[in-house]
Amino acid sequence: MFSHVYRLVPLAVIIGILTTSLPARAEENSQALRQELTELKEQTRQMQRRYQSQLDRLEQRLKQLEGKDVPATDDSLARTQTSSKDSGNPLQIGLSGLFAAGGSNADNDELEGLQAGGHDPNRNGFTVQNVELSLGATVDPYFDAKANIIFLIDSEGETVVELEEAFMTTRNLPWGLQVKGGQYFTEFGRQNPQHPHTWAFVDQPLVLSRFFGGDGLRSQGARVSWLAPTPWYSELYLGAQNANGETVTSFLAEGAGGDPTDPETIGGHPLTDRDGREQSDLLYSARWLNGFDFSDTLSMNMGFSGLIGPNASSRSTETSIIGTDVYLKWQPAYVQRGFPFVSWHTEILQRRYEAGNSSDPSQETLKDWGLFSQALWGFQPGWVVGLRAEFAEADGGASTDDDLFRDRRKRLSPNLTWYPSEYSKLRLQYNRDWAEHLDDGNADSLFLQLEFNLGNHAAHTF
Amino acid sequence: MKHFMTYTLWFLLLSAAVNSQAALRVVTTTEDIAAITRAVGGAFVEVASLTPGTRDPHFAEAKPSMIRKVYQADLLIIVGADMEIGWLPPLMQSARNERVQNGNQGYLDLSLVVPLLEKSHGPVSRAMGDVHAKGNPHYWLDPRNGLRMGRAIATRLGELDPKHRDNYQAQLTAFEQALEQKITGWQATLASLQGQPVIAYHRSFIYLADVFGFNITDEVEPKPGISPSASHLSQLVQRIKSDQIRLLIMEPYYEQRSARYLNDQTGIRIAVLPQSVGSLPEIKTYLDLFDRIVAMLAQPGEA
Repeated sequence: MFSHVYRLVPLAVIIGILTTSLPARAEENSQALRQELTELKEQTRQMQRRYQSQLDRLEQRLKQLEGKDVPATDDSLARTQTSSKDSGNPLQIGLSGLFAAGGSNADNDELEGLQAGGHDPNRNGFTVQNVELSLGATVDPYFDAKANIIFLIDSEGETVVELEEAFMTTRNLPWGLQVKGGQYFTEFGRQNPQHPHTWAFVDQPLVLSRFFGGDGLRSQGARVSWLAPTPWYSELYLGAQNANGETVTSFLAEGAGGDPTDPETIGGHPLTDRDGREQSDLLYSARWLNGFDFSDTLSMNMGFSGLIGPNASSRSTETSIIGTDVYLKWQPAYVQRGFPFVSWHTEILQRRYEAGNSSDPSQETLKDWGLFSQALWGFQPGWVVGLRAEFAEADGGASTDDDLFRDRRKRLSPNLTWYPSEYSKLRLQYNRDWAEHLDDGNADSLFLQLEFNLGNHAAHTF
Repeated sequence: MKHFMTYTLWFLLLSAAVNSQAALRVVTTTEDIAAITRAVGGAFVEVASLTPGTRDPHFAEAKPSMIRKVYQADLLIIVGADMEIGWLPPLMQSARNERVQNGNQGYLDLSLVVPLLEKSHGPVSRAMGDVHAKGNPHYWLDPRNGLRMGRAIATRLGELDPKHRDNYQAQLTAFEQALEQKITGWQATLASLQGQPVIAYHRSFIYLADVFGFNITDEVEPKPGISPSASHLSQLVQRIKSDQIRLLIMEPYYEQRSARYLNDQTGIRIAVLPQSVGSLPEIKTYLDLFDRIVAMLAQPGEA
């Protein structure tokens, strides 16, 4: 556009005058000169800005005159534009990297037992917790799809690639129904389906590591969810997934026991190689999630979840897990960038594991349970302090004292997170562990976590 | 099980009955759009905003209660230009309502019916802070855009509810006349602001500057969404003094320490402007919003 050039002429002249006036001041001391120069630069900058905004305005008017702008009276154009605009960039791509440095008075072997989550920092030194590539898009008018591929560096230094999730969801089934199919995190509780980069702490709650393994509970399957026509938000999820594979701990996963000398047992009972043989060998899940707004500033989610499926103890034994989760969030009327806020998240889980087949005189039901409760306070823009308290214990089976996954454990974790922007964060967390399996009975660890997010905008989900 | 099925059926039937009786259900992402929709929709629409006027709509969260609202909506009206990018996509997926999906008649993106300022001309990097590449999305702060928004909404309401098309057009005409008359008055009141340099906290008032002719020469934030550092504030003090800037405008939800510091150092007047309908309890309509903004710009507000 030539008009731009013409509009810039006076600017160039002014800049010229300003710069030629500089030598006149050359006799004065350099301090003053530098001061002057900064001021001039500032003035030029402001002038540039003013001109730019004027240019923008003129350009807008010109566009309107030329009729290129959308006529305000007709929004049919808006509709066609909407679709063409979005088709230009249909695939959302994101890459998030999560790294940690840690130090503990527990040695590396002990730390691996304490930090049993697959994405937990579990070493004195550095851990690549999770590098996650996420792809998502609307497939067609009927489906949305998403895939999360994770890259890890294991303790041997080998790079591991995992297909964490790849699933599609329906867009427009009637009666408030939605179907999801593929490989996905089971919607059990609030924490399990969350990806590591949205966690409020550097590590996984220990009861989840025990019941669902290091990677969280995820498998291949399908679920249907129903948005109930209640006056409050109420959604019911029912699903079926394969019960075998290493990410289905507590069910048909092999070698997932916590006895360090023999991971092929649970509570002293041997695990068998039981592959899914029939329909009844699937893992069935249910979740009922409710949401309430008590006021403009206080909201709550409350969920009840249940799982039932075969386990690897014998050909006919089953595991069931039930859980309750509560999430409360308070935000005042006026918030800057989502701050300040206070949130509280608690989950209680209980597992009943039938161990040993019916002909086995030692057959029993192992009863394990655990809870975590965490509070966050975003006290000023970008800053959050958190505190998490956890407890887990087990009943039944062989002595649990040396079993990493069945001993009595407590953990207290205060942390401090700084978000320089929406796309990066720095987190410092201290863990105080009390665990029966530890020689000293307790351990102290400190972790520093770093995160970046590239690509599509991180979603702010409640 | 039998009982459960019976109850479920009753639920479905009841909700279907409620649905068929109700007026056109419109859900908007902000109170400003809701206010304009109420003005042109009148008694024939039932309007609910997803975010309250006190909050920055960019930083809302997809709360469960929103899912129900969007699920039931016949029309969803959004600010667009990436304003709701952080929370609307997951919300739309959870809400599973085909009527209001992008591209359907129940979806209206108002950023497409107004001339957006600050469309980026070059490549955008996040090193620049939170820049909206599609243009600055705070366009409702120009009442002339309110006219455009009103027209687009009335047209769409008429398409979705042809029975009341004439009512919508009549209500639109009344809204337009009232607003046009007001705009002339507001511009006259603020004539002395013409050409004056003003500092804003965030890049959200350029449309207001455009309609009332003042120049926003600087922001308190060094980059959009990035909090000011001490050195940036001291530079601002210099600039306020050298340029004789007399007014700082900001939204009520930003921290006021920086502004108070600048006020202490330079005596610059601070006007905490309501940025949306509902940001103060007495601001109930789109006209109220500018009445209040103009009153605050015209005379000193609280520091």
